[in-house]
Amino acid sequence: MRNTPVLVDPTGEVEPARREPLARPPSLDGRTVALLDISKARGDVFLDRLHMRLDERGIEVKRYMKPTFARIAPIAVKQQIASEAALVVEGLAD
Amino acid sequence: MGVATTEFVEAWQAQSAALGYEPPMIFVPHPIQDRTDAEIQALADAAVDEIVSRLTA
Amino acid sequence: MTKQLTLVVKRDCPTCTLLEPVYAALAASGIALDVWTQDDPAFPESVSGALDEGLERSFRLGVEIVPTLIRREDGEEVERTWGWDRAEWERLTGLEGLGADLPPFRPGCGAKNVEPGMPEALAARFGSARLKSRRVPLAPLEDEIEAAYERGWSDGLPVVPPTEARVLAMLDGTTRDPGEVLGLAPPNLQPCTVEKVAVNAVMAGCKPEYLPLVLAVVEAALDDAFCMHGVLATTYYIGPIVIVNGPVRRAIGMNAKGNVLGQGNRANATVGRALQLVVRNVGGGKPQGVDRAALGNPGKYTFCFPEDEEGSAWPPLSESRGAGKGASAVTLFAGYGVMGVVDQDSRTPEALVETFADVFRGLENRNRRNIDAVVVVSPEHDRVFRDGGWSREDFEVALRTALHEPGHSTPKLREGGLLIVRAGGGAGMFSAILPGWAATGPVGSIPVTKEVGT
Repeated sequence: MRNTPVLVDPTGEVEPARREPLARPPSLDGRTVALLDISKARGDVFLDRLHMRLDERGIEVKRYMKPTFARIAPIAVKQQIASEAALVVEGLAD
Repeated sequence: MGVATTEFVEAWQAQSAALGYEPPMIFVPHPIQDRTDAEIQALADAAVDEIVSRLTA
Repeated sequence: MTKQLTLVVKRDCPTCTLLEPVYAALAASGIALDVWTQDDPAFPESVSGALDEGLERSFRLGVEIVPTLIRREDGEEVERTWGWDRAEWERLTGLEGLGADLPPFRPGCGAKNVEPGMPEALAARFGSARLKSRRVPLAPLEDEIEAAYERGWSDGLPVVPPTEARVLAMLDGTTRDPGEVLGLAPPNLQPCTVEKVAVNAVMAGCKPEYLPLVLAVVEAALDDAFCMHGVLATTYYIGPIVIVNGPVRRAIGMNAKGNVLGQGNRANATVGRALQLVVRNVGGGKPQGVDRAALGNPGKYTFCFPEDEEGSAWPPLSESRGAGKGASAVTLFAGYGVMGVVDQDSRTPEALVETFADVFRGLENRNRRNIDAVVVVSPEHDRVFRDGGWSREDFEVALRTALHEPGHSTPKLREGGLLIVRAGGGAGMFSAILPGWAATGPVGSIPVTKEVGT
């Protein structure tokens, strides 16, 4: 493995240097939650139930699926989720 | 965020270190594949509050 | 006083191997001697030496040629010689008859620590303690350029990854201390050090020799008169426009001729970009954050150009604004552009200035008043003014007179707010107006001129 590169921080250093997840919304009102099935056996049972529970809470849900758990999601799937949903829950391993 | 079983805690830590990024994860009890539907649904019911809270600030 | 000698040699240098009898004589003299060998720990054979592991000692001593012989008194270096020059070695050591059987003179060889690529690598390895900035270790699978995007350091275009070696090489471009604070970078008012400017200059793609110019640009931007916070935060189109005068333009190869306001010249492009990256990264000013521009303008990636002083009959803009004659200087203007002034007919200054006035009258809207602007006069329009014998002042007075409207108490152009420069080329009877901010003068941004240091 190559040496891990080290960069010099160009910022005013008021924020942590590591990559932070995007800010979370204060609530799910009016936002669509994507459920991404990674195509592992019986993950759909879990996601179906989660879908039902989110429906009960009035949360808008859309379903997506990776063709195989063995590879990262195709760009088309990622772009579709990014266009249609504000948040994503990915599962289920194993 | 992601949902995985407790067997994947170390895999998540290794992958996070490799990518320099820690996505939110919750872990449900392992295993999944040999459980009955009712058992899996119970796992989902138990996780739903935590999932919603991790999706919001 | 205690005399000490330090000797740096390598086996792979015929001059070094020739001098075995001299090394033996030094060792026998009783003078304290330490010997560092760059390649073979078994060399020299006539005295015991130590291998210079990783070439750290050679780097710290600044050795360029082997053999190098250094004389110290009480630990402090007094003088050094390199290569073989018997008279010099005898004088430096105080010993006589050194290498009596050898030729009196032999040139040395290049030291291993100055072989291509080595100075940068050694500087990063042993000199990085100079840098005070936080280090950001990347994860094993991260690409450096993608990492800069992920961390929000980029303006949208790829940046050069700011490695320690690159930042140290950049800092070699200035005599100033890396820790010197140039001012507080808006909007977060973070201390902007020479080092932080160097890091962002690396990312912008600058060469080290651009750094003194970039430092002057940043100093001008942080001058309170320029009002960088407001220039950033406004909903208006504007961003900082950098105009360069003086010898630095040609020294670093800036383009003042054809396509002067366009793409293609490294110095023009990267100096302006470095300022934008400083504001973004050190100051934390980002679009849709504190930067509230409704539309912005493409010059907010970079907008920097030199005046074509050689092609102009007028004194440099910087001199007209108080900079020293012949000095390198930058002028910062808060503006956008480019508005065309097209006139392919006028052959007298009087007729041509009327075309400029005509464009100004409707600029932004007919009722806009008290605006600032840069006028970039192209060579073929400059020729008309030159042939008519007009100075820069003649042009400005005529323009203001043409723009005077009896019904308005406030002039179209703010007094002191007009900057006239000469650039571009060769053919094309097209000049340009770069309009300024809605908030001009003391209530907004005032153009700032700073001389370039070292």
